[in-house]
Formats: sequence, structure tokens, C-alpha cells
Amino acid sequence: MNKTKTILINSLKEMKTILPLFFIAIIIGVLIEIYIPNSIIASLIGKNIYLAIPLAALIGIILPIPRYATYPIAASLLLKGAGFGVIFALVAGEVITESFAREYMSIKYFGMKFFTVRTILTAILVTAGGILIEVLL
Amino acid sequence: MIVEILSSSFIKFITILPVIIIAIIVSQIIKLYLHENKLKKSLKENEKNIIKASAIGIATPGPLIGFLPTLKTLKDKGIPLSIIAAFITGQTLIGPGRIFFEINYFGVTFFIYKLVISLFIAIAIGTCFRLLEKKIAF
Repeated sequence: MNKTKTILINSLKEMKTILPLFFIAIIIGVLIEIYIPNSIIASLIGKNIYLAIPLAALIGIILPIPRYATYPIAASLLLKGAGFGVIFALVAGEVITESFAREYMSIKYFGMKFFTVRTILTAILVTAGGILIEVLL
Repeated sequence: MIVEILSSSFIKFITILPVIIIAIIVSQIIKLYLHENKLKKSLKENEKNIIKASAIGIATPGPLIGFLPTLKTLKDKGIPLSIIAAFITGQTLIGPGRIFFEINYFGVTFFIYKLVISLFIAIAIGTCFRLLEKKIAF
């Protein structure tokens, strides 16, 4: 009974953080669907995957999008014609810098060199993974 | 137009809400049973095994910030940074909560590909750190 209560309380706390941000992400997704023409998405991230995938990874890394909030935006991009490689790069890139607080702690605990090397390696490997997914799917 | 945007967003939100709730509850259940000491023990036992560290990371629910103090303790106790890097990468790329979102939005095939590629990425990063640890003082 105690465990169930703990799970419920922790889940509610998590929902309190995630749900508002997720709703904002959905609004952004809807705005992309309504206002950005397919041709623009296609010209930016649809034609040249060798440019589109690193760009998506970079966007994911740079923007500190909260956990799970990338999904509605990525889904809108998929509807607009983006490939699965771009979606992979965006979603995987996003987790590298989820929040400033986390990265600050990570740098404090493991050092700037560790953070820099890990970010560079992840960016390269996520791009390679995106290209692989684009080819396979 | 604003009403249209908000109503469309609200419908999408209500549709995805059960998935979010399930993802969060499943993550919390796993987190409750995955005791901090268990994680410490598993990583210590597999001190040299990057593949296992990556797999443990993938199976561990987020957010990572909650595990950073434990990882710092492990680092202070001598666990190599390659193991920590593999765990962090696996943990951030995939997590039990993400399964529900990724299958719902992009399909099972995409999720399976992402899972396999993420495991390889985590292992590759761990391996790179193992090689770099010999040359760079982190």
C-alpha cells in the first residue's frame, strides 16, 4: 500500500512538471502543421539527409527542450515530410542537453573535459545513427 | 484562429494523455524497485563491462539528474569514466518512459531501430572513453 502511494505521489509530481510543457510542445507542433508549408520543411530537412540530419542533431543538442517535449514537435515534422533519420537525430540530440541544471551538475561532478568529449562524440554518433536509420527505414 | 489552434492542441493532448500517464507510472514503478544500491552494485560488479553498463543505462528510467550523485560516488570509488559515460549515454537515449512515446508517435519499427542504434552509440562512447582515458586526464 505504501509503495502504491509512493508511486502515485511521485507520478503526480512528475506529471505536474511534464504535462504543461508537453501541452506547449503540442501547440508548437500544431503551429508548425498550420503555418509552415511542406515545401519549406522539405527544403530545410527533407532533401539532403547529409545536411538535414546533422542539423537536426545540432538543433536537438542546442535547444534545452524538456523531457518528452520533443515528441509532438518531431511528429509534426514527420507529418510535414521529414525523414526518420531526422526524427532520430532530433529526439536523440535533445537528450544530450536536457536541462541546464543537469548539465551544470554533470560538469561539476565529472569535469568540463568529460562533458565536452561526451557531447562531441554523441553528436557524431547520433548523426551517423540518423543516417543509418534513414537508409534502413 | 487561436481557438482553432488551441482546440486542435487540446484534442491532441487528450489523445496522448493516457500514453503520458502510463509512461510516467511505469517509469516510477521501475524507479521504486531499482534501488540506488542495486544500481551501485550492478555498475560495480560490471566495472569493466561497457556493454552491461550501456544496457543498465537503457533500462534505467529518467531523469538522469537523480542518478548523478550516485555516479559521482561511484567515480570517487574508482569506477572508470568509460563506464559512467556508457551508462549516461544509454540512460539518456532510451528509457522505459520513452518506449510508449516512440511507439505511439513513430511506430514499433522505429523504436526497435532506435533501441539497437542507441545501444551501439552507448557502447561506442564507452569504448572511446576507455581509449581516451589512457591519454587524457579527465
